[in-house]
Amino acid sequence: MRSTRHVAALQRDSLAGHYSDPPLLVLASLASGPKHGHAMIEDIQGLCGTRLGPGTLYGAIARLERQGWIEPLPAQERRQPYRITPEGLAVLRAKLTTLEQFATAGLRRLEAV
Amino acid sequence: MNRRLARFLTRLYPRAWRNRYGAEFEALLETERAGPRAPFDVAWSALAERVHPTQSVAKEQWFSAHPFRSWRERAPLAMICLAPVPMLVAAYAIACLILWVGWRMFMPGLDSPFGVRAHGLANFYFQAGKSYYCAAPVLVGWWFEFVAVKFRLKAAWLTIGLLLLAWMGAAARIEANRRTVHSGLGHISISFNFCSLIPNAYDGMLHAATILLLAASPYLLWRFLRSRTLS
Repeated sequence: MRSTRHVAALQRDSLAGHYSDPPLLVLASLASGPKHGHAMIEDIQGLCGTRLGPGTLYGAIARLERQGWIEPLPAQERRQPYRITPEGLAVLRAKLTTLEQFATAGLRRLEAV
Repeated sequence: MNRRLARFLTRLYPRAWRNRYGAEFEALLETERAGPRAPFDVAWSALAERVHPTQSVAKEQWFSAHPFRSWRERAPLAMICLAPVPMLVAAYAIACLILWVGWRMFMPGLDSPFGVRAHGLANFYFQAGKSYYCAAPVLVGWWFEFVAVKFRLKAAWLTIGLLLLAWMGAAARIEANRRTVHSGLGHISISFNFCSLIPNAYDGMLHAATILLLAASPYLLWRFLRSRTLS
């Protein structure tokens, strides 16, 4: 029989399943179209359950922009939208393919347990 | 988040970063429903940006325009480079406390705990304390390397910090005597007499080199393994 404490522990443990690689999350968010900071935070939360802090988000944005994987669009009032560049799309595709291979292999091993 | 707090948090970032992202970041902070962790997230990211800036091009341009003000930008790095000094002083203060407690517990009637043969539990206690005292500079060095790797500090800053640590470790002297030490707390004093290294230059250098080697070895090993992995 599952106690309330057991269910709470399961819910807490499920947080460990949240994926948190801010640059990859930002790239994945921008893959569906240009967005500004607040929209990215909401989109990423819907995508994988992780709510990035503002400092973490802009740390990732600054690095991605420096690498040329995202670029700014004309500002809308004080908000600054960004879009993914073709190079960023290629990087995102490569990273997600690697992750997919890793996840497939990992899940196959789990099935064998 | 209110405007005043958002402005304060944005100002934690370096000027070059603020020039590029300041306005939009402040706007985000004002609109974002910030939880209690948001200020810590921003402060941590600002520190990371100061230690390992993303705006290096803007920074270089700014340095060339303000050559004499560039040291203000480098101040956080210098502070991290000096961080081992207070850490080692704190570690030695704990060593003095261990010595004082042992002196009070096991040899309350003696003028000094040094030069006396201890037995049983007292011997174990003082040997453990001595081991901690000897290992303190190395342990602080390892902590410093962890911070340096975490913040991706340049090897030059790490080297300066470790050299300081080795020099202090070799020059540290603890004295404990009721008759001769009057100024120290509990008749125990610690001094960093750097001139004492000069008369026994060989021993002092050997001691400092040993601390440096032991403290730097995990970092050197990490660099070696990393270079092999990358190649």
